[in-house]
Amino acid sequence: MKQYKPSYFIGQAFRGIWRNGVMSFASIAVLMSCLVVLGSFALLVMNINENLNDLGLMNEVMVFLEFDLTEEQIQNVEREIKSIPGVGDVERITADEGIRSMMEKAGENAYLYEDFLDDNPLSDSFRLTYVDGAKLIDIEYNLRHIGPEIRLVRDQRDLAATMQSLKNGIMLIFSWFLIVLFIVSVFVIINTVKLSVYSRKSEIIIMRYVGATGLFISLPFIIEGALIGLVASAISFLAENFLYGYIQTALADLTGIISIVPIETIRIPMLLAFIAVGVLTGIVGSTISLSKYTRE
Amino acid sequence: MIEFKNVVKTYKNGTVALNGVNLQIEDGEFVFIVGQTGAGKTTIMKLLLREEKTTSGKILVDGIDLSKLSYFRVPYYRRRLGIVFQDFRLFREKTVYENVAFAMHAVGVPPKKIKKRVPALLNTVSLGDKSTCKPDELSGGEQQRVALARALANNPKIIIADEPTGNIDPKMSLEIMNLLVKINKLGKTVVVITHEKSLVDYYQQRVVTIDHGLVSEDKVGGMFE
Ligand SMILES: Nc1ncnc2c1ncn2[C@@H]1O[C@H](COP(=O)(O)OP(=O)(O)O)[C@@H](O)[C@H]1O
Ligand SMILES: [Mg+2]
Repeated sequence: MKQYKPSYFIGQAFRGIWRNGVMSFASIAVLMSCLVVLGSFALLVMNINENLNDLGLMNEVMVFLEFDLTEEQIQNVEREIKSIPGVGDVERITADEGIRSMMEKAGENAYLYEDFLDDNPLSDSFRLTYVDGAKLIDIEYNLRHIGPEIRLVRDQRDLAATMQSLKNGIMLIFSWFLIVLFIVSVFVIINTVKLSVYSRKSEIIIMRYVGATGLFISLPFIIEGALIGLVASAISFLAENFLYGYIQTALADLTGIISIVPIETIRIPMLLAFIAVGVLTGIVGSTISLSKYTRE
Repeated sequence: MIEFKNVVKTYKNGTVALNGVNLQIEDGEFVFIVGQTGAGKTTIMKLLLREEKTTSGKILVDGIDLSKLSYFRVPYYRRRLGIVFQDFRLFREKTVYENVAFAMHAVGVPPKKIKKRVPALLNTVSLGDKSTCKPDELSGGEQQRVALARALANNPKIIIADEPTGNIDPKMSLEIMNLLVKINKLGKTVVVITHEKSLVDYYQQRVVTIDHGLVSEDKVGGMFE
């Protein structure tokens, strides 16, 4: 193939795109929406993961104490908790701190809690972490058997499971969405390139008669598909950047509560993934549409 | 050398186009293949081009068994053949020069060699002065000569022409036939498929008659009945 100039194939590819302007545009648009959905999906999952990690939901246990314990009793309990194997950090949250954190979350409705500062309905509690999830059952057993000072032991397994199934649900919906969009993309590209092939049918026939190889005949069309993919991925990348930046700004007020993966860390992988998926879709589409003509 | 051994061709729809053809064409021969419409002449060319495969029997070209040719080798095999069609099959938006050059470009001939060879080819078919014309500006005979130059472009050993004079007026037809004879004298095997009785009689070459998918007659210097 070394005698062939790449410029020939690329030139032919551009001619093909130009000749079927409307179809090329449609292909780019469909593939683009597919890539933007793919990107948004990936970003959403990344952010959910990030926030789950932040919350440490997976490995936290709350221990609520009985009311009206003496300071000495509480410190005894704390010592006992720390001695349980598998327990990591232990943080004491006084009843007072509990109310104040509720007030903080309530924002402008904080005044509703003011009365409780004097007459606190809460008890002291401990927030403790563990590393090995397999030990949770043992840890909880030991916590409950410290003594009558323990009122309630609560882990976050239910919440973690809820978050996980939510994540799975989102994954499932987006996966289906994506599969459908990709099929549509490939289908539209197949038809675009088919038109291009059709408009050069007589040329292809002559090329075959003079002994041109399948690769020589199909390369311009494959490049055409790849170019459509490339343009779609570039536009999607810009759109995704803009969209994400917009969402980031809109959620800026919530930075204390949720953390957002910064766009800078994912920009390059996202661009590469877009190009890979876009170009691959283009090549697959055009190869399928050519199969009839290169079969011999 | 071209050899057909008991070649049967049945198309997908069940039409039996060839029904046991035996034929041998030596290097450097000039052969007319004649017969009525539907006799199976074009099928012979399609099989030679490996556009179609034999249903049974064997075709050997220079010892190459066409039924055993792999997909990837077919293009290289086809470069041994130069093909001319009744309807010329030129690119209408390309010039005469570009039409011929394209055949060389498509098989990877370097541009320098193309530039040198195309004018010589156009001179061979007496079209040296028409290289910048488009096919629509040429007569049928001239267009067919462009197609002949293109067929010769990659220096094939065998030229196959299917009804090359079918779309050309009688006077021009003689011109094309004379060119084919001249090409044969240059050492190429030339196979001309035709049903024009007067031409065949005039040239007094080997004539193979196909009738209902069989060789019914094979005579050197034969007459076309
Ligand atoms: N692609 C095809 N599919 C089915 N039948 C065909 C095909 N090509 C040719 N035939 C049939 O095969 C027979 C021989 O055709 P052909 O070789 O073209 O004859 P000729 O060139 O002598 O006129 C005819 O009956 C024709 O209708
Ligand atoms: Mg015919």
